[in-house]
Amino acid sequence: MSWKKAGTEARLLLVGIPVALWSAFPIYHIFLFAISSKDSAFSGALWPAQPTLRNFGAVFKQEHFFLYHFWQQMWNSLWIAATVGFLTLLIATCAAFAISRLRVRGGRLVMNAALFTYFIPAAFLAVPMYKAMSVYGLLNSSWSLVLAMVTLASPYAIWVLKQASDKLPWELDEAARIDGATPMQLFRLVYLPLMLPSLVAIGTYALLLAWNEYLYAFLLLSKETNVTLAVALGHFLSADDSPWELLMATGLLYGLPPAAIYYVFRRYMVGGLTAGAVKA
Amino acid sequence: MASVHFRDVRKSFGATEILHGVSLDIADGEFVVLVGPSGCGKSTLLRMLAGLEEVTRGEIAIDDRVVNEVDSKDRDIAMVFQSYALYPHMTVRENMGFSLRLRKAERAIVDERVGRAAQILNLQAYLERYPRELSGGQRQRVAMGRAIVRDPKVFLFDEPLSNLDAKLRVAMRAEIKALHQRLKTTTVYVTHDQVEAMTMADRIAVMNEGRIEQLGEPLALYDRPANLFVAEFIGSPAMNLLDARLRRSDGAAWVELAGARWALAAGAPGADGQQVKVGVRPEHLRLGAEGLAGEVVVVEPTGAGTELVVQCDGASLTVVVHGRSGARPGDRVLLAPGPDHVHLFDASSGARL
Repeated sequence: MSWKKAGTEARLLLVGIPVALWSAFPIYHIFLFAISSKDSAFSGALWPAQPTLRNFGAVFKQEHFFLYHFWQQMWNSLWIAATVGFLTLLIATCAAFAISRLRVRGGRLVMNAALFTYFIPAAFLAVPMYKAMSVYGLLNSSWSLVLAMVTLASPYAIWVLKQASDKLPWELDEAARIDGATPMQLFRLVYLPLMLPSLVAIGTYALLLAWNEYLYAFLLLSKETNVTLAVALGHFLSADDSPWELLMATGLLYGLPPAAIYYVFRRYMVGGLTAGAVKA
Repeated sequence: MASVHFRDVRKSFGATEILHGVSLDIADGEFVVLVGPSGCGKSTLLRMLAGLEEVTRGEIAIDDRVVNEVDSKDRDIAMVFQSYALYPHMTVRENMGFSLRLRKAERAIVDERVGRAAQILNLQAYLERYPRELSGGQRQRVAMGRAIVRDPKVFLFDEPLSNLDAKLRVAMRAEIKALHQRLKTTTVYVTHDQVEAMTMADRIAVMNEGRIEQLGEPLALYDRPANLFVAEFIGSPAMNLLDARLRRSDGAAWVELAGARWALAAGAPGADGQQVKVGVRPEHLRLGAEGLAGEVVVVEPTGAGTELVVQCDGASLTVVVHGRSGARPGDRVLLAPGPDHVHLFDASSGARL
């Protein structure tokens, strides 16, 4: 290795190491709390004197007032996230196929509308959404959160998938038409397999958006057995004497599914999301 | 097996008409090449036959059936695209069998037809590969295989060789021609390359600006181009064209150009004093004792012959000499064609006299 190359490497490390530490520290902090006993959590040590897994046991066995419905809430989070991912994907894929490949009338309008909703912050719509859900009588049903999240995720999903669709060569559609494919066969046998990387990326995006959502979940769901884990975590802070070690243990568990999904689909995430991000 | 008929076919995109009434009858089993510069409408005509573009006016018929309103899939045609348009997520076998699969053909039949097509095209070893694992020439053959498996009434080729390198193009040209001689399926082939047209076609339709300029057998087009456009387009190197005045006296006819005169055949058409364009193919110009004076500028030996570029009074003429030539740049030469090899075109309309 030449000196010049070594110099470049050193400079990269000089930037990279602090950034890595900076990002990892909060996670380490959570981990540290989660394996500390209640008394030693605030000791300030970088490693607890007696590390313990008891906090996780307490969470799994739902042994605290804030944790009575842990498994139910975990299930709520999972179910809602998965449903949002699936529905968003269904809507966005069909929309992108119709607009990009079948070139239906009004496609441009839909695309412009989708882009326009980008400019409206989700928080801005929280109260109107609450009102709408109450009109439909959906408050406190997990469907209210599912529908709200699908509404928020779809425009971006449609936009990205439409851009990705546009990149598929048009001759493939024509070849399939001449080969005798109906639009549905084209969709199923040619379009979907070729869009798979983008579909995985967008499905994951919608799923994680719903998994991470706090504000809407907090507004639309209120029963202990209905709320998602994100909201349940917030409840920990309503006590005067919050059980920090349990909060952090639960938080760590809450962070695992997204980490696992990112890890499994990491190959698709970067390519898939940037594929449609820039108009070629 | 089928005949194809275009009857006064027109195509407009918005207010712009790009095909101005094309009529063309293609016989059963014939290999017809549509050739012309880009934008002449040849691809559009092919795509209309394929059902990928709507017919604005006129009629397209396959056999006796007008197909203007018939879906691509029901026209019983197969098309080979310039980009090959292979399905990237399917193996060669799946690509070739896709159309049969859509028609719910039995597995045994699909396997048999794909196998036979693969054998014809020498693709047996590649059936389980994906398109990305194939070379350009192999992809091209898979695209043809996909068409063969269909056993369609008509093959359509849209510039299928444009993405191949020169050597492969020549090889595939021969392969396509051999394939046609074997299968005898009616074929419409679009290209901008006149060499492809000349070598492959039973008949060529030369197109320009949305019209067919001339339709005929390759050598007929070469020997008797109907107008200036065809004269310039067909043949390589291109025909030499010069401004001249036609003269006739006492049964003899000649053209006057830049102080020289070229004799014409006895039956040459045209009136005394008429302004004409004179066309002479490069291989029909001779270096001799009399004729048009010029200076050799470039000498290009090709091995089989020699190509000379001669500067004559502002015009640049190409001369192809059979075998080796002793000419060198700077030489003064006199050029004259054989009287039977002079083409005369009307100076204003461009039509053959």
